[in-house]
Amino acid sequence: MYGHTFVAHFYVANRPVFSPGVSSQMWAKGSVFDELAAMVQDMAEKHRPSLIPICSLCVSDTVGLPFELLPKQIGNTEIVYVPLPAYSVHTHAKAKDIVVDSLVWRLPSQRKARSGVNLIGEVFPSDPIRIDEVLRRIGSHVNTHVPGPRWADYVAMVDGSLNAPLHPFYSESVKRMKMKQGLPFVEGAPVGIAGTYAWIKSVGEALQLNPAVVESVAADERDKVKAAMADFPLSGLTFMVAGYEGHEFLLVRLLIEAGASVPYLSTSVNTNPLARTEEAWLREHGCTVLYGANFDDEIGALQHHKYDCVIGTTPLCSHAKELGIPSIYYTNAMATRSLMFAEGASDVLSLMLSTYRSKERYHKIASFFSETGVPEQTYSSWSPKIDLTEHLIANEAFVPKAPL
Amino acid sequence: MALRQELPSDIVNTPIRKRVTDLDHAGGDTGAMQVFASLRDGNVVLDGPVGCHVMPAVAVINYTDSIPYLQNVTCSELSENEVTIAGTLGALKEKVARADAPGRQVFIVSTPMSELIGAAWTTLDEDVKGSPLFFNAQSLDDDEWHARDRALLFLWQNREHFVRPADAPRKRPAGKSVNIIGPTYGCFNSYSDIAELKRLLAGMGAQINLIYPFEAHSYDTPALADATATIVMYKEFGKSLARELGRPVFDAPFGLEDTTAFLRGLGHALDLEAEADAFIALEKKTTLAAWQDIWRSTHSDFFANSPIAIVAPPSYKDGLERYLGGELGLPISYSAYRTGPQSAPSEAVREALANASPSPMLIFGSINERMIVAQEKLPSRFYQVSFPGAVVRRATGTPFVGYAGAVWLLQTVCEVLFDTLFANLPTSYAPPQQTEKATAEIMRDGHGIAADGSKGQNAVVTWTDDAKALSEKTVKRVPFFVRVSVTKKLRAEAEKRARERGGTVDVGIVEEVVAAFAPRST
Repeated sequence: MYGHTFVAHFYVANRPVFSPGVSSQMWAKGSVFDELAAMVQDMAEKHRPSLIPICSLCVSDTVGLPFELLPKQIGNTEIVYVPLPAYSVHTHAKAKDIVVDSLVWRLPSQRKARSGVNLIGEVFPSDPIRIDEVLRRIGSHVNTHVPGPRWADYVAMVDGSLNAPLHPFYSESVKRMKMKQGLPFVEGAPVGIAGTYAWIKSVGEALQLNPAVVESVAADERDKVKAAMADFPLSGLTFMVAGYEGHEFLLVRLLIEAGASVPYLSTSVNTNPLARTEEAWLREHGCTVLYGANFDDEIGALQHHKYDCVIGTTPLCSHAKELGIPSIYYTNAMATRSLMFAEGASDVLSLMLSTYRSKERYHKIASFFSETGVPEQTYSSWSPKIDLTEHLIANEAFVPKAPL
Repeated sequence: MALRQELPSDIVNTPIRKRVTDLDHAGGDTGAMQVFASLRDGNVVLDGPVGCHVMPAVAVINYTDSIPYLQNVTCSELSENEVTIAGTLGALKEKVARADAPGRQVFIVSTPMSELIGAAWTTLDEDVKGSPLFFNAQSLDDDEWHARDRALLFLWQNREHFVRPADAPRKRPAGKSVNIIGPTYGCFNSYSDIAELKRLLAGMGAQINLIYPFEAHSYDTPALADATATIVMYKEFGKSLARELGRPVFDAPFGLEDTTAFLRGLGHALDLEAEADAFIALEKKTTLAAWQDIWRSTHSDFFANSPIAIVAPPSYKDGLERYLGGELGLPISYSAYRTGPQSAPSEAVREALANASPSPMLIFGSINERMIVAQEKLPSRFYQVSFPGAVVRRATGTPFVGYAGAVWLLQTVCEVLFDTLFANLPTSYAPPQQTEKATAEIMRDGHGIAADGSKGQNAVVTWTDDAKALSEKTVKRVPFFVRVSVTKKLRAEAEKRARERGGTVDVGIVEEVVAAFAPRST
């Protein structure tokens, strides 16, 4: 609870986080639920927000509080239960899917007259505006974008005629909307040369728009991406990418199209039907997707194989920097960039290239801190590491460059 | 006073309230983890759900201690299968086996989840020295501070359990020496404070036996008995261990009086009285020369009219209050404990800070107070002195304790004073201001006496009563020593707008100006 509050106040919003206090005595007396219910009632009456989401964590979910007894509405306020115990929800991506799904489940039926595309997935704030521009050229538009800051952003989903999960992990949300309301969805996102073209085409097909116009816009956007990417050649460089948000798939696509070698994508998310097309594309281009990866396992690979640049989690990057490898933390670097269309491609690739080009600086600092003058890991975690690269080489899935 | 003949009552938990807004302290599992992981040979396995170590040992530690992640902390990764069917022991055993590397002492720490489902570690080899130790963190009930206190005592009680490697040198102090108990990970500003304590001790010629647990191995624990005196850095934890050691106890000192008493008291306990006095004399000519110069400057004239507020855990709250309020004379308009039995809930702090008149010039606190300053649009500056809240405090030159801490805090308060002064000075966006009209034109346009039967248009602008009242109320909220500047700015802006609109200053205009010029909070 403390950790959630700490991180939320730092990363998310300047906004209070409320919870009922819990102690073993309160659990034993069973007073926690009564307090929660009273608290929700008071909050709804006092602040009158559109929505009070109740996120249950491990302990409350194990105790099994009767969340179904909470009112669904108090006045105009929606009360929505969101079950998020860590022992069954293992990743950020899964949790986000559950949140969107829980909120969407509360919506009334889809309207008869509907139009436009519902974008689902966290993207750079200007991305929905760019997507809207392109969609208007093919005869549609962006209807709404979630996750969004307003409840109205979700409510608007009933007006849309197509769902577009931009990350492959909103599977529950879109499947449920398809089953319940027959709302179709398209996979992928307008990222990279082939990806941009394919996405615009599939939106056009799903909405039965004028094929000639769709083809011309898709080809135009593809060519713009291609032209933009030509400025940032990454050929000959090997990248290690490890993510946990879902949009690491899109980043790897861009890197590969720019000429980089990405032997594998390590992601903490689990295999998912919506990711299959994307995964197949990556496999065709020499990248194996390792689902449910434990980031500790990558640290072993860093020491024995040559990587030019690392995009990963805090632990992985801290080891890479110790070895003098240019690296950036996935969330902080990527959340502040767009990936989409020509602008997104050049923005991200210029970051990648400038990160790689600062390798001298990384090397100098790493050498300073090593005893021998050659970058080395001065200390290492005590838990044994599985070298994922070794694993890939053994399965002939990866031909490494000369060892370090 | 620094020397305490008698220790106060036991460390007591922060009360668990029925409702919590912006929880401001971690649970017992985190506190215990931060003690055991601080040991150089400590490996911690949290017995909890998948990824339960990520928040405390990766996400939060990166913003409290600026460490990318704690490499010696992992968890048993319980999933639905263990929680509902298989039981947790198998998963725990596997992770403990991975953690139990040569030269490492494993500590298994319970979490709210394992405590709730009644999981516990049982082993046949608990009598085997160096085998994994289980610590019940009582996370459902204990806060981080209480757990730290209990964990330190637990280490002492198990001191014979730890194995000293054959090649580990044993350095015994040659004469009388002192232990420092605390810090652990997650203690605000500890890197600077420990550096200042070391400097003070070196200056008076005192030997340090152990800095425990931060600069010690588990197998050093029995050597705690070798010291003559104990410094307990924090009121929040460490007293139970100090009591067991049975040596004279000293608190970390804040300000000149505290520090002088601290050095004299330690000098007495360690037979270094002459050395301590000589060091105090030397400090007055060196480290504290800056303090004396600042104090003799005009800077200190503003102190009596510059109210501050302090919300922090007991050591810092009391220490800052004693030094800034007691010694420097800054009025304390509000202060509250962030943790411990007397801690104030967030709502009470919000109400007190929002309604304080005059508003504190400077609010010392955590991210919670920082949010209050922003949300309530307070004119106060904010300075972080406590967790939660992301901060980097790894440079060792920003102590709060000791003589150097007294200088650094004095400097910080003065910097904030200057900053506040500048923020409230009337500024002209494009100096110098250009005139648009010649004198003759001003005279012609300013002639309004015949038209409205009262004053000329160049005359002093009239203020309505409620505009005056609002103006006065607004000015009273700002720190005393910038009221002249603020009044000037408010009047100039309001009257400019009134003239443009050809009327008097009404309450609407004052509201506009206040909104446009309210100091941006942090």
